[in-house]
Amino acid sequence: MNEFIAPNIGEQWADLLPYLIVGGGGLLVMVVDSFVRTLKKDHLSYLTMLILIGVVIVQIVGKRTDGEVLGGMMIIGDFTRFFNYMFAGIGVMTTIFATGLFDRDGKYRPEFYPLLLFSILGMMVLVASNDLLTIFLGLETMSLATYILVGGVRGNIRSSEAGFKYLILGGFSSAFLLMGMALIYGFAGGTGFNDITAALKTQDPDVLIVGLGSALMLVGFGFKVAMVPFHMWTPDVYDGAPAYVTGFMATAVKAAGIAILVRFAILMQPQLSFAWYPVLSVLAIVTMTMGNLVALAQSNIKRMLAWSSIAHAGYLLLGVVTMISPPAGGSGMMMMSQEVGESAGSAILFYLVGYALMNLAAFGIINVMSHKPGTDADDINGYAGLSRRQPLAAATLGIALLSLAGIPPFVGFMAKFYLFSAVIRAGLIPLAVIGVINSLISVYYYLRVLVVMYMKEPEESSYRGTELVSVVTSGVLALLVIWLGVMPEAFHRAALVIFRQFQF
Amino acid sequence: MSLITDHILTWVTFLPLLGSLLLWTVIRRDSHARIFALAVALADFVLALHLWFHFDSGNGNDQFVEKVAWLFNGQISYHLGMDGISLVLVMLTTFLGPLTILSTWKAIKDRVPEFMGFFLFLQAAMLGTFFARDMLLFYVFWEAMLIPMYFIIGIWGGQRRIYAAVKFFIFTMVGSVFMLVGILYLYFQAGSMNLADFLNVSLGHEAQLWLFAAFFLAFAIKVPVFPLHTWLPDAHVEAPTAGSVVLAGVLLKMGTYGMLRFAMPLFPEGVEFFAPAISILAVIGIIYGALVAMVQPDVKKLVAYSSVSHLGFVVLGLFSLTPLGVAGGIFTMLAHGLSTGALFLLVGVIYERRHTRQISDFGGLAHEMPVYATFFMITTLASVGLPGMAGFIGEFLILFGTFGSETLPHARLMVILAATGVVLGAIYMLWMYQRVFFGKLSNEKNKGLPDLSLREIVVLLPIVIFMFWLGVRPGLILDRVETSVAVVLAPLNGGPLDQDGESTHHAREAEQESETDTPVFVVRDTENQ
Repeated sequence: MNEFIAPNIGEQWADLLPYLIVGGGGLLVMVVDSFVRTLKKDHLSYLTMLILIGVVIVQIVGKRTDGEVLGGMMIIGDFTRFFNYMFAGIGVMTTIFATGLFDRDGKYRPEFYPLLLFSILGMMVLVASNDLLTIFLGLETMSLATYILVGGVRGNIRSSEAGFKYLILGGFSSAFLLMGMALIYGFAGGTGFNDITAALKTQDPDVLIVGLGSALMLVGFGFKVAMVPFHMWTPDVYDGAPAYVTGFMATAVKAAGIAILVRFAILMQPQLSFAWYPVLSVLAIVTMTMGNLVALAQSNIKRMLAWSSIAHAGYLLLGVVTMISPPAGGSGMMMMSQEVGESAGSAILFYLVGYALMNLAAFGIINVMSHKPGTDADDINGYAGLSRRQPLAAATLGIALLSLAGIPPFVGFMAKFYLFSAVIRAGLIPLAVIGVINSLISVYYYLRVLVVMYMKEPEESSYRGTELVSVVTSGVLALLVIWLGVMPEAFHRAALVIFRQFQF
Repeated sequence: MSLITDHILTWVTFLPLLGSLLLWTVIRRDSHARIFALAVALADFVLALHLWFHFDSGNGNDQFVEKVAWLFNGQISYHLGMDGISLVLVMLTTFLGPLTILSTWKAIKDRVPEFMGFFLFLQAAMLGTFFARDMLLFYVFWEAMLIPMYFIIGIWGGQRRIYAAVKFFIFTMVGSVFMLVGILYLYFQAGSMNLADFLNVSLGHEAQLWLFAAFFLAFAIKVPVFPLHTWLPDAHVEAPTAGSVVLAGVLLKMGTYGMLRFAMPLFPEGVEFFAPAISILAVIGIIYGALVAMVQPDVKKLVAYSSVSHLGFVVLGLFSLTPLGVAGGIFTMLAHGLSTGALFLLVGVIYERRHTRQISDFGGLAHEMPVYATFFMITTLASVGLPGMAGFIGEFLILFGTFGSETLPHARLMVILAATGVVLGAIYMLWMYQRVFFGKLSNEKNKGLPDLSLREIVVLLPIVIFMFWLGVRPGLILDRVETSVAVVLAPLNGGPLDQDGESTHHAREAEQESETDTPVFVVRDTENQ
């Protein structure tokens, strides 16, 4: 496998169409922007949405290939298609929210649209990667675009600070990732996942090298999903970035990070789960506990949701832990173990989608709440009496927060239900107990926002910004939050099938 | 018609929910919202009456069953059913619903459609909790109920409403999340979330203890059992009248209902292990609640603490594990729902007029408001358990049943201590009554207060009628719960069960035993004559 096989794209363009559309689309948007010089930039947003919807359509009607493409650099299947749908959906929502704000305030960011597309391209590649190099390419494409999205609000010093911080720390974490890759490459003699699997099977793995390598890579991934102790950037960046970007990062970037973490954990499972399992268990517990405890003390809603997103990363890690947990012993354990893996994997997929829905609904509202252009509606007390002034916005944000807290009948509850039921199926009852105690703690800070919105009277300084399209879009997301909370079965079954197909 | 009667439980549960959705979206005018909510609640009561008249009292198993696959290929289902115990509580809920809505006519002036929406949502969630026969479905209703109550307390409550609302929410959640873990654990043992399948799981001793503790904690906080009661006075005092009525009338019963329906039959060994301790807590709750009620300067708080005391009786009755004690517990749930609901309504009446609930602000009210004083007197007597009224039957059965309990150590001592609670109850209620209504009309502000309006009489009269009616015809209720109680208690009497058929077999036996041996009938018959 050491010889370089030039991949023949000519034959595989149909398989790669979604990726080509997004990448080419990003370039197209750039070109269109430089030639169509109007003050309003609505056409860019329509074009961007069209491109993303194009990805969805191509995936639905196009050729469905399962397997390796580009000479084993990438692997595609239902798993990657699932994430592509999700990224495209999040992208469309983010475009709607961002454009709504641009239109309302009359301040446009034309560079936003191509960067969004490139970031999504990076995520799509990252999820589909079957080679360490592709991981790095995908991760960096995603990250570089996100750095600019975060820091590119001109004249906003907090945005610049956040972008810079994210860039520096992100670069640092990429270095860890690269170092880890180098070690694993040294061990396996190749960068492909197949090489690594083969090396892990045939040789007695050199625990030091592989262990260190995978640990360093874990640092890199942990940074992207905001896992404690690699989370320090999260509150500052989530706070400093404009809300539409924060919503995008909290949902899409996290989903991509979790997806690659899942894939990597499965790759390492046969030999290294003995090390990954305890390490990830501890990290999951620390992540969710710290996220929830610190969120309690926040008075800034974006920082609060940043810490809450750390906590949710912890729940998701709990799913990953369950997926790679060693069989509890006894007979018929291989079956059992596979069942546990499937239920945990499908729970993670379900959780990611539910989390994206409720988080986007929340950020969609937060995004438009500020009535002073250029500032963010991030003070919780500014939401006082929102339910009187804007009942729809308040109800949407309320549903999103109750769902994040895991209260039925919203999707957040069902997501936690599937997740914790997988954890308990694996026999990890202490972990489940810690998980539910955490979701109990989280109730308090989510409720605080509800208190302010519903039980306080509006004040002179309260936020009263609005933008109809964004609010209605968030409202639709809230309806989906309810719908998936009441009728999750069909979707969960689909997630199960997807995950089953993915375990090769 | 069959469209409704075939899915009657779904209709009863979701009709209020439908109403609340309309109230939140379509209805904008306050007056419309009031009338619409009242109409929906009345319609729901009519539907519930259908249940009452078509219920087969001889059958202790679930009736009107509806089952549709929901999750995990049908391992978890939308499964509703109703036995006598559920029936009684559903009737109470739907009966209090329209009356409570009518009582808010003048009290709730702000954001009326929202309030009515939350109120009907609450009704739906409570009804669903009583009907659910699938553990996850039960849990969903149980938790969903927190949301409307939280808003009702937090938006329309008194001074410290936010504190009370959050405390209510968090306290209840604390218990429920551990129950969720317990439910999930049982789910993987049973292979389904069906309550009947849960009953057939054979569990080890230690597992039973842990699971019982997890379930009991959730229910005990809701009841509330001493020392987990601290949320209750806050919630009651801060909640608007309608919230207090539902809280005392129905919500607290969901705790005792949960114990009876889930915690007790599922974990017989857990019950055996914990019952002595629980009954001690119940007795402490009875006396403590009564003593604290006695020194309250605030009428509403007094009634709130009296709830702690009365619910102590219910828990004592349930954990006496005798058919008599359990039947008495259920009866007391109903009687307490009526009398305490009425008390909160009455307190609300005077609060609307005077905007104070301090006992010291009143005195001699009987001169100014004779009709009000009469209603208050009747309700007070019902609450203290005067023979001939509903409260008496329940408490009597509980004490009687506990006295004969073979499982509780020191059962007789418990009965004696609990009986002092009855005496204390009479003292604090009558003393409060005396200070508020008798004597000279000393406070100038109380002069010329209007007596009960026709609307208020319409609200209170049905409750008072039922307090008498159930007092002289307890068989109305006891007939309907008897066989169901036997079925529910079957696992406790017959030891762990092996098969589904086994449990009904036990139930039948227990049922026959109760028909011949237990003196439930003696009590009822003498009352009837």
